[in-house]
Amino acid sequence: MNFIKTFFSREILVYSKKSSNIISPIVFFLICITFFPLAVSNDPSQLSRFAPGIIWICILLSGMLSVQTIFKEDFDDGSLDLFYAKDFSILQIVLIKIIVNWLFSALPLIILSSSMVFLLYFPISNLLNLLSSLLIGTIIISFFGALAGALSLGKNSILASAIMLPLSLPVLILGSSASTYSSENIGFFLLLLLSLLFLTIPIISLACMGAIRLHYE
Amino acid sequence: MNNIFSTVKSFYHKLGSFPWFYKFSSKFIPIVFILGFPIFFLGIIWGIYFSPTDVTQGEIYRIIYLHVPAASVAQTVYFAMAIAGFVYVVWKMKMAGLFIYAMAPIGASFTILALISGAIWGQPTWGTWWIWDARLTSTLVLLLFYLVIIGLYSSFDNKKSADQAVSILTMVGAINLPIIKKSVDWWNTLHQPATIKVFSESSIANEMLYPLLICIFSFYILVFLFGLMAMRAEIAKRELNKSWFKNLVLGND
Repeated sequence: MNFIKTFFSREILVYSKKSSNIISPIVFFLICITFFPLAVSNDPSQLSRFAPGIIWICILLSGMLSVQTIFKEDFDDGSLDLFYAKDFSILQIVLIKIIVNWLFSALPLIILSSSMVFLLYFPISNLLNLLSSLLIGTIIISFFGALAGALSLGKNSILASAIMLPLSLPVLILGSSASTYSSENIGFFLLLLLSLLFLTIPIISLACMGAIRLHYE
Repeated sequence: MNNIFSTVKSFYHKLGSFPWFYKFSSKFIPIVFILGFPIFFLGIIWGIYFSPTDVTQGEIYRIIYLHVPAASVAQTVYFAMAIAGFVYVVWKMKMAGLFIYAMAPIGASFTILALISGAIWGQPTWGTWWIWDARLTSTLVLLLFYLVIIGLYSSFDNKKSADQAVSILTMVGAINLPIIKKSVDWWNTLHQPATIKVFSESSIANEMLYPLLICIFSFYILVFLFGLMAMRAEIAKRELNKSWFKNLVLGND
């Protein structure tokens, strides 16, 4: 328990020392969002129809940015070697890192995406659905991102996103569908997302542990 | 019962050894080669020249004899790779990692064949080269997974960690693929009134079914052949400096 607390506060400290950890996903997200009205159409009715898809695509792409940072620094400076050698629980380290990474890279975007009511004319009646589906979906994406980051430690950054994005496809489909429907089908897609979350957490945590171990064999 | 079990067990242990596999498969390849290609040509020629013309689709339906076997092989190869990934992660059997490495390009090429033949088939029958249907989308994602596996493999210098990484990714992908297919299905049925069914399996006539089954069977034999050859090539690459390989090639054995 003590280790969890110490490690958690260490991670928070590491992330908050670098302002780019928070700023760069936000900037990237806003730029991506801005591209769509400029490139596709600025017609409010069309934009509000495409808004769920646009928001989800931008969330997914900005999730791509944090994939590399999640284990990379600790791997490069050797702290991960130490944790591994000292028999710390890799599972706890993986879970804490994913949670902190989610707090810093996904949570600001979820809060920010409620402003899409004004920017993309997102229908306000669906806002609750959008936020709850984002809340569940970004956690799943963070897990996939952690797996991709762990598999491609020390490799180029394109590879990590190439692993993460195809894995996140079901989240994109279910999430954007959940935020498209306002009344009757909302429960269906949200429950599917939730079940995907419960399927993802144990499997991907195990896979992450295996992926980190393979770099020390 | 015990006897069978011990035979299987010893076969499994032998299968993990590169020299044994290399020698064993060299006896196997000519048989598979002689068996595979005639069956393949039998199925294709029967399908193209002797099976009846389809009432609704005309002659174009004959591409089914390439399309369905390729699509079936593409999926089966992936799930075989996922099983091999499980075997590698649990028992560290190096042959399983080699199997994934050898099969990934083969599976990818059969997926491309299925996609292209499907597009050629879809153009005259549906009036479009591509449609975002559940089957098509999941096949495209399957191709993406194959390409990611090949890419991940090539980024490692150390074969052992490459095998481990690719095994993990293949297993996660195998869990993910049915979910993707199902979620496209749900998304589609809610968005569009009706998805196009390729054909209902039960309505196919026997005269068309038999050559199709022969084609599917021959594709599996051919994939087996290609897989064996690719695995042997990779064994040769990895064991180039080992004494057993030198002895075998130089004929000192």
